[in-house]
Amino acid sequence: MNASRFWNWFVYPGALWIALLFAVPLFLVLALSFGHVDDLGRGVYGFQLTNYADVFNATYVPVLLRSVGYALITVILCLGIGYPAAYFIARFGGKYRYALVAALVIPFFVNYLVRTYAWVALLADEGLINNAIVDLGLTQAPIQMINTPFAVIGGLVYGYIIFMILPLYVSIERMDPSIVEAGKDLYGSPFQTFIHVTLPATQPGILAGSVLVFLPTVGDFVSAQLLGGPDTYMVGNLIQDQFFAASDWPFGSALTVVMMLFLAVWMVLYLRRATRGEAEVL
Amino acid sequence: MEQSEAIRIDGITKKFGDFVAVDNIDLEVSSGEFFSLLGPSGCGKTTMLRMLAGFEVPTSGSIVLNGEPVENVPPHKRNVNMVFQSYALFDHLDVQDNIAFGLKRRKVAKEEIGRRVGDALELVDLSTRATARPNELSGGQRQRVALARALVNKPQVLLLDEPLGALDLKLRRQMQVELKAIQREVGITFVYVTHDQEEALSMSDRIAVMSAGRVIQCASPEEVYEHPSEEFVAGFIGISNLLQGKVESRGQVRVGDVCLPVPDLDDSYSVGDSVQIAVRPEKVAVDEIDKPAYKIVADMFTVQGEIESMVYLGVGNQLTLRLSNGGRLVALEQATYRVQSHDQWKIGQPVKVGWHPEHCMVLK
Ligand SMILES: Nc1ncnc2c1ncn2[C@@H]1O[C@H](COP(=O)(O)OP(=O)(O)OP(=O)(O)O)[C@@H](O)[C@H]1O
Ligand SMILES: [Mg+2]
Repeated sequence: MNASRFWNWFVYPGALWIALLFAVPLFLVLALSFGHVDDLGRGVYGFQLTNYADVFNATYVPVLLRSVGYALITVILCLGIGYPAAYFIARFGGKYRYALVAALVIPFFVNYLVRTYAWVALLADEGLINNAIVDLGLTQAPIQMINTPFAVIGGLVYGYIIFMILPLYVSIERMDPSIVEAGKDLYGSPFQTFIHVTLPATQPGILAGSVLVFLPTVGDFVSAQLLGGPDTYMVGNLIQDQFFAASDWPFGSALTVVMMLFLAVWMVLYLRRATRGEAEVL
Repeated sequence: MEQSEAIRIDGITKKFGDFVAVDNIDLEVSSGEFFSLLGPSGCGKTTMLRMLAGFEVPTSGSIVLNGEPVENVPPHKRNVNMVFQSYALFDHLDVQDNIAFGLKRRKVAKEEIGRRVGDALELVDLSTRATARPNELSGGQRQRVALARALVNKPQVLLLDEPLGALDLKLRRQMQVELKAIQREVGITFVYVTHDQEEALSMSDRIAVMSAGRVIQCASPEEVYEHPSEEFVAGFIGISNLLQGKVESRGQVRVGDVCLPVPDLDDSYSVGDSVQIAVRPEKVAVDEIDKPAYKIVADMFTVQGEIESMVYLGVGNQLTLRLSNGGRLVALEQATYRVQSHDQWKIGQPVKVGWHPEHCMVLK
């Protein structure tokens, strides 16, 4: 009794930390999103819905849709690239498993921004790839790669794929290999066994990885800023502009709140699914 | 029961690198037979089964299932099914979908799937749990789902890898009876892997006793128990008293300074050959020395000895006897004779020890 009361005290620093540095700013953002800009360009608290109306006007809706579209494509590509990699390491890596996982993680020690600049160096008109193919005579002029959706999505995939591979690796590694054999034993071809046994058994990893990639990708601004152009503008860039270039903090706040609500819906769906899976395990 | 050949294995060998897991085994299994592979851990039982299922390709030799060579047929195209030791149930499917899995892959008509799954559920007495998830079931129920999932496909051969290994003793005994009854009912050939000798003895039509990748003896349970071919079999199935002796004359073996009658000794032995004799402990009768004979009967071979130690087993006593010639013998005594049998014997008490000569088993 006393002991547990003692341990309870350890909750307070963490709770205080979250309250001060997470809940309060969140509340300020929420409050500001109903405000407006005064003549000097400063945000003023108020109560009006104009910012929210602006979010959904014809200029910005394509940006929102594009962000979601890019994020979904990124998730699919990460799955497509990450699943075979994770599967190979988990099932056939043997004693090299941990070394291979470490080898995948090491590039992510480098800051995301720096890694994205490296892609600029690769994809630019005068970059490594274009220089190489022009020098080899494969094409006359450099191929436009930078400032395309291809570059932005590529940057996003590169930036976040590890968040897909790690949960996939864990769930594939945890899968009992004999269920795959059982699938084949029960007349499933390798493909059917993959669809009907392996995929469902590793579904928790697929879900977790998809959420972990989708959430940061939708709000990302680095990839679009460095690798993209006006046509690949994402909601992250839009928000960043409101706070730094346009100095319209209330509108930036409204965008942020809409984004967060949108992501929260996904998160709730995921959690419901995940906890249902958990209940089945127990 | 038709006696056609379900499995024929010719000179099969499986190597993992330099390690020989299965070493040149020949076997034939008749259809409808309950055939057990029995042996200690690591002797290659699972490897044998996996080669039959198609998960391992033999290094050399051939496997013929119902007349068709299958060494290079992938598992999903073989008409055999396996019950895995870990059951390997699909946790994302409920019981009936687990059972229907094989039928669906074979594109069996929907109504037929429903009917056969229903029958299979009934067979394993799980009709009320059709929509439960595997992780909501007890160990014994999971085991039965695994069995039903394999049986529902009516395979030519059912492979079972220690299917009862994960169950506690009582449930295991109960499932042994159920499994045997189910096998009789469906009449499918069972190849059953176990390292539990009692299980193998009580369920099998024939047993192949394996050691270090080889089959040491392949015969009926009675034959394997009463006439083990080698010391390994005699020691692995039940316990045995081993006596080392020399042939004295036809039917007589000298062990130390006593001469045992051994009617089993055939003509292939000549005088002076070393032979190894085994006597099962439960065949050894023990009587008090100065009382009228009680368990020892007239045509038994008898020697004198004394009680060296005694272990109370509940169903009886295990006595270690020191014989007058210095040898040691273990005797298993059923607790049917006295009210309190463990009061009967005192350590050091002189006794008469006897057995029927035909219970002397000659080992190669
Ligand atoms: N994939 C493999 N690679 C290397 N060695 C293997 C492999 N599979 C089995 N072995 C070896 O082959 C031998 C026989 O294995 P197997 O699994 O057939 O034994 P078992 O008789 O089923 O034993 P148990 O009763 O413990 O299950 C063992 O020594 C094992 O280490
Ligand atoms: Mg085994």
